[in-house]
Amino acid sequence: MEITRTVTIEPVTRLEGHGRIEIFLDSQGSVERAYFQVPELRGFEKFAQGRPAEDMPQITSRICGVCPTAHHMASTKALDALYQVTPPPAARKIRELVYSAFFVEDHALHFYFLGGPDFVVGPQAPASERNVLGVIAKVGIETGRKVIAMRRKLRELMALAAGKAAHPVFGLPGGVSKPLTVEDAARFREVADEAVDFACFTMDVFEKIVLGNSGYVNLILSDTFTHRTYYMGLVDENNHVNFYDGAIRVVAPDGHQWARFEPGEFLNHVAEHTEPWTYMKFCYLKELGWKGFSEGEDSGVYSVAPLARLNVADGMATPLAHQAYLKFHGTLGGRPVHHTLANHWARVVEMLYAAERMRELANDPELTDPTVRVLPTAIPCEGVGVVEAPRGTLVHHYRTDPRGIITGANLIVATQNNAARISMSVEKAAKKLITGGQVPDGILNMVEMAFRAYDPCLGCATHSLPGSMPLSVQVRDAAGAPLVVLRRDSHGTVRRE
Amino acid sequence: MERSAENDRPRIRVLGLGNEILADDAFGILAAREVERLFPRQVEVVCSSAAGFNLMDHVLGASHLVVVDTIVTGARPGTIHVCGADRFRTAPGVAPHFLGLFEVLAVARHLHLAVPAETTVIAVEASDCATIGGGMHPDVRSAITGVVDLVRQFLANGDPG
Repeated sequence: MEITRTVTIEPVTRLEGHGRIEIFLDSQGSVERAYFQVPELRGFEKFAQGRPAEDMPQITSRICGVCPTAHHMASTKALDALYQVTPPPAARKIRELVYSAFFVEDHALHFYFLGGPDFVVGPQAPASERNVLGVIAKVGIETGRKVIAMRRKLRELMALAAGKAAHPVFGLPGGVSKPLTVEDAARFREVADEAVDFACFTMDVFEKIVLGNSGYVNLILSDTFTHRTYYMGLVDENNHVNFYDGAIRVVAPDGHQWARFEPGEFLNHVAEHTEPWTYMKFCYLKELGWKGFSEGEDSGVYSVAPLARLNVADGMATPLAHQAYLKFHGTLGGRPVHHTLANHWARVVEMLYAAERMRELANDPELTDPTVRVLPTAIPCEGVGVVEAPRGTLVHHYRTDPRGIITGANLIVATQNNAARISMSVEKAAKKLITGGQVPDGILNMVEMAFRAYDPCLGCATHSLPGSMPLSVQVRDAAGAPLVVLRRDSHGTVRRE
Repeated sequence: MERSAENDRPRIRVLGLGNEILADDAFGILAAREVERLFPRQVEVVCSSAAGFNLMDHVLGASHLVVVDTIVTGARPGTIHVCGADRFRTAPGVAPHFLGLFEVLAVARHLHLAVPAETTVIAVEASDCATIGGGMHPDVRSAITGVVDLVRQFLANGDPG
């Protein structure tokens, strides 16, 4: 069908880089295709080449101003693999402890402040309230202060163990740079208890505000926000969710285990599809092949992030989180759950797990063992490191010469794993709203909601201040001339120009 | 700026934002370091590559905050823009999910946290903030002197113009 018009929404948010949504209309004025795209940072591979592999955890953590801890951890694990060295138990536990604290902090931030305008304030609330201050008005100033205080304590702990909260520096091939003292462990125990209470409190907030409102529940269950795809995530030996380590498990749209493999085999199972209109590479399951932006058993499209992790796992490894996991799947019709907006609920379940796991590790006597490093002796060649970032599976893959100098480096970030499904979600939401060439104001909200559930990282961290209005929709005619521009004005209402 | 006892001294913080390995995005960090070198006792300098809500850690507890960052408005690279933080649209309007420096300040104010009494933004027009390992545009690099002059002026009379 001939494509005659284009709708562009850009940038979708500034928090994690600039994103852009393009909607192509057909000659009847209906949505033909919609795409989600990001302007990618350039030059990473070239920048990495010729540098010592040990620099990579520092360099890659600088790539993203939002989730540096995830990059640092994936990179450190890639170095373990590169030098064929297994960290001592205390080092592994310190890494996972810091990582768990990071997850509590990051998931709390998303739930309250980023996803909050959709669910805490509500999709139907006036535009002027659908922002972070609206969230605070709804949950109360005391709760807002509680979130900030919890975050601060977690970040202080991360700095204590990892050198810096913003950009950790403790990961080394074969371990970490320093052991944890008995006093440090005591502080972790104290804050971990608070973190568990805080996560339970957050689950209550979610249940009261979201589950207690049938309108929200219907929206979660609605066809607009549903896709039957494959799911991927790390699991431990019991097939429970694990953020730091384990095997990669893939389940099919009907929920059966489709594949389970070691992280080092990732590239045997996943391939990347390119499209002429974007730098973005769309990951798909190699064995199934690329069948376009389509769902179902035959399509290689899969998804990562909180919902995917709860879909691939048989349960959670900690008691309170496991109860929450059972309730999640019980309420939403059993595993796998295909409703994209359920990511917000899955995120709270995971926050509870991260807090409980933090408490377990903080109480582990082995945590303060002074042996935290096994010195690498093997000759390096190639290494793959995989962790679950808050936004989904993150892969670092390095090749080096025998001196450990990088000859090739590739990162597959969570948003790339999710890219095909995010585009499909955006398209479905746009199709519901645009008919006969009419582009309603509500398109901004619904399309944004569709991708925001994934918490996408849109091309990491450039810090430039915003120079122009962060959101606009442009409708173009067949010749590419703009027909109408939709913008939000400074009061949050949508204006047509 | 007049100083009294140590405790009453206004805490002037220069916050350099950017990323040293990302071409022109290094500007905020390099400029802030230069300020630190020249005025070590008069200002507290913080450099950060953090984004979004992670900036909360850096905005609290100062009486005056001077943010140095890059901006993209389409002006000539190296152009220096100076304005109060109130000139930027914050959370109540525009985008519901946009969380940057100004939204962080708005949240902190709303929660009665220790926000600076005054925030000044010095933003320098960048040409490329997306090439890892890229070099800085010479006109952007030259603007470091301009930023230093503005900070000197601010320290002298509390107003960067």
